[in-house]
Amino acid sequence: MSSAFDVLWVEKYRPRSLKDIVNQEDIVKRLMKFVEERNMPHLLFAGPAGTGKTTAAHALARDLYGEGYKQFVLELNASDERGINVIREKVKEFARSRTPPGIPFKIIILDEADNMTSDAQQALRRLMELYSASTRFILIANYPSKIIDPIQSRCAFFRFQPLKKEDVVERLRFIAENEGVDYEEEALETIYEISEGDMRKAINILQSAAALGRVTVDSVFKVVGMARPREVRDMLKAALDGEFEAARTMLRRIMIEYGLSGEDIVRQIHKEIFGNELKIPEEQRVLIADYLGEIHYRLVEGSDDDIQLTAFLAWLTVLGRHAS
Amino acid sequence: MTRRLPWVIKYRPKRIDEVVNQDKAKQALIPWIEAWASGRKPAKRAALLYGPPGVGKTSLVEAIAKEYGFQLVELNASDYRRDVDIKRIVGSAARKRPLYGRGLIILLDEIDGIAPREDAGGLRALLEVIKETENPIVMTANDPWKEQLRPLRDAVLLVEFRQLATGHIVRLLERICKAERLYCEKDALKYIAEKSMGDVRAAINDLEAVAEGYGKVTLSLVKALVRGRDKSIDLWRTLNSIYYAKYAWQAKKAVTSSEEDYETLLAWLNDNTHRKYKEPEDLYRAYDALSRASLFLARAKYRGHWSMLSYVFDLMGPGVAFARVKGQVARERFSYPERIKLMAQLRQVRETREALAGKLAERILASRATIKREVIPFLTAIFRNSQDPTVPARIALGYNMTREEVKLLAGARAEEILKAAERIRKARPGEEGEKAVREERQAKPAGLDAFLGLGSRGGIAPGKGASRPQRSTRRRGRRRGSS
Repeated sequence: MSSAFDVLWVEKYRPRSLKDIVNQEDIVKRLMKFVEERNMPHLLFAGPAGTGKTTAAHALARDLYGEGYKQFVLELNASDERGINVIREKVKEFARSRTPPGIPFKIIILDEADNMTSDAQQALRRLMELYSASTRFILIANYPSKIIDPIQSRCAFFRFQPLKKEDVVERLRFIAENEGVDYEEEALETIYEISEGDMRKAINILQSAAALGRVTVDSVFKVVGMARPREVRDMLKAALDGEFEAARTMLRRIMIEYGLSGEDIVRQIHKEIFGNELKIPEEQRVLIADYLGEIHYRLVEGSDDDIQLTAFLAWLTVLGRHAS
Repeated sequence: MTRRLPWVIKYRPKRIDEVVNQDKAKQALIPWIEAWASGRKPAKRAALLYGPPGVGKTSLVEAIAKEYGFQLVELNASDYRRDVDIKRIVGSAARKRPLYGRGLIILLDEIDGIAPREDAGGLRALLEVIKETENPIVMTANDPWKEQLRPLRDAVLLVEFRQLATGHIVRLLERICKAERLYCEKDALKYIAEKSMGDVRAAINDLEAVAEGYGKVTLSLVKALVRGRDKSIDLWRTLNSIYYAKYAWQAKKAVTSSEEDYETLLAWLNDNTHRKYKEPEDLYRAYDALSRASLFLARAKYRGHWSMLSYVFDLMGPGVAFARVKGQVARERFSYPERIKLMAQLRQVRETREALAGKLAERILASRATIKREVIPFLTAIFRNSQDPTVPARIALGYNMTREEVKLLAGARAEEILKAAERIRKARPGEEGEKAVREERQAKPAGLDAFLGLGSRGGIAPGKGASRPQRSTRRRGRRRGSS
């Protein structure tokens, strides 16, 4: 690590071209065909997180248009954009822009398309038809079943599988060697087990563990624990010990210090419930998850973060008291 | 800890002569009751006591009942609106014939709370009941001159209650101060009395709020609290009425008649209930009620189901009041909600997080949501735990992070990392490093500019990415309103 600036390894080691993508061979082969023919239909990339969907979309565009490919690509993210109207305006404007030399279409990458409501997807379908002369859509989704049929039938479908163990371990080893990381072979397998075929997560774990020193099975577990604010666990313990006031104070501190939203904290709590650091009877884990789900639902409906989580902590205090 | 009565209840007049400044009302009402007591039914079988709030209408009825040996049956008119209810409940009480000695007085509070259209049938039923009643019916109202009450006005004895003079209220407050062994300045009591505009109940509540907060009542305290924070006095009153409510309708009324908007009220309840309730199960029931109140509020606000507001009041008022099953109301001071402070702090840190997520999203090619969920936690782990501070420092430089962003990731370790970044930046990247970074940035020409600009800017690019958080705030604001 000799350079003065550093970036996250997920960025640094992202395949830039289709030929650099080492797994998902079938998919890569079909995509390369499009590059060869300099033509493609609308595409739908589906599969779990960290399997290379977005990477493949960018690599495809780069291979088609070359280095300055980004000027011919419109990147949209359904979970970040504000509604279909914003998307429509952006698509409209983009469709008017210059077309690349030699290729009659530009590419619109729409990530997390399955986060769109079916009404928004209907509108999207019309957009796809309206601008099909000059644009191609690449839709990316975790759950293809949440994409409406009329869109699915207009796209070539690509299913991305969770990465295989050897692919992940191989990639991690390559990165570790390249970065001069001191590592234990077994640790790489542990990273694979924890990340469940999600390459982004695997690489993030590797980099975080490397920041602590030698990458060992222990340090991998340690760093995964660190990525969850310790305070969340402490807060749960305090509530279960009957210290409602203390837990309530901690809740506010976590919200402020980490800038976490109510839903973020619910997610963290959920991880802790089934994690092994929290020593509670097994049947309690289920009870807690059940009430947490209720609280989560109330949050999603738009109610107040602080009140919801305070209610959760009050409930936990009662549970802890009954158990002891 | 004994259960503490709110002073408005504790210092209610118990004898007729304790009800001050209502001699005319007494002159009208007492002969009417005496007629009933002696077994002669007067021509008008019901009386309507009217006048501004807090002048002693209900108190006088209670005192009369006590001194003339009547049993008082209190019915809240607004709870029984439908004609069948009135016939059934009021009617059955009205028909009860006292076998010996003690007669009944039926008290219907707040008769003017009845709404004209939907309760037309209710009023008719009430008139029928009055015609046939065997027992005196006494009603109270603030404003008897409403159109819908006209038929009632003709059928009853109208008794006017006068607004109290400041002097009367001051004397009452003095009595309470003495009984409570409280240090009270006369000028302070005068001030409270004037502000109450003749409402004894309001005056006593204000006195209690100041006394509970500060243990003494001085002019300067009262001036600061009653003038500058009229609203907080109202809130104190509302909260007290909720925590000490005996009946569900009292708690609900406390909420619906509060001048505060329900979001403020929710915030006050959220930050004070844990001071007032100490039993875990009471606390859980109370906070679950608040949680559901907040849920109903969201349904009303974001989906336009405004009829849901009614449940918000139910859960905030009675829901919190009757959550207390086991414990007593603790004698802890109310506090201003930390919420306002909390929200300001939260907004700032969330904007920083949003800006950082936006910056990373462009480079790592994932949504801001994914970045926040999957990447920032690991960055946090690196920034807080790496052995060598230059590791996070280099990453901070690599993403052109602002001071606030480094603080968010590094927590207590921020200064150490910022210093390391400064050292690296001053030393200037070596040829090799610079080239490596430039290669990284080639995919995105704009990024290179940012990188080249870094050297001339002082520190780690302050204020970069300011446009994003604003956007995200708007987004949030749109969805969540101004909560």
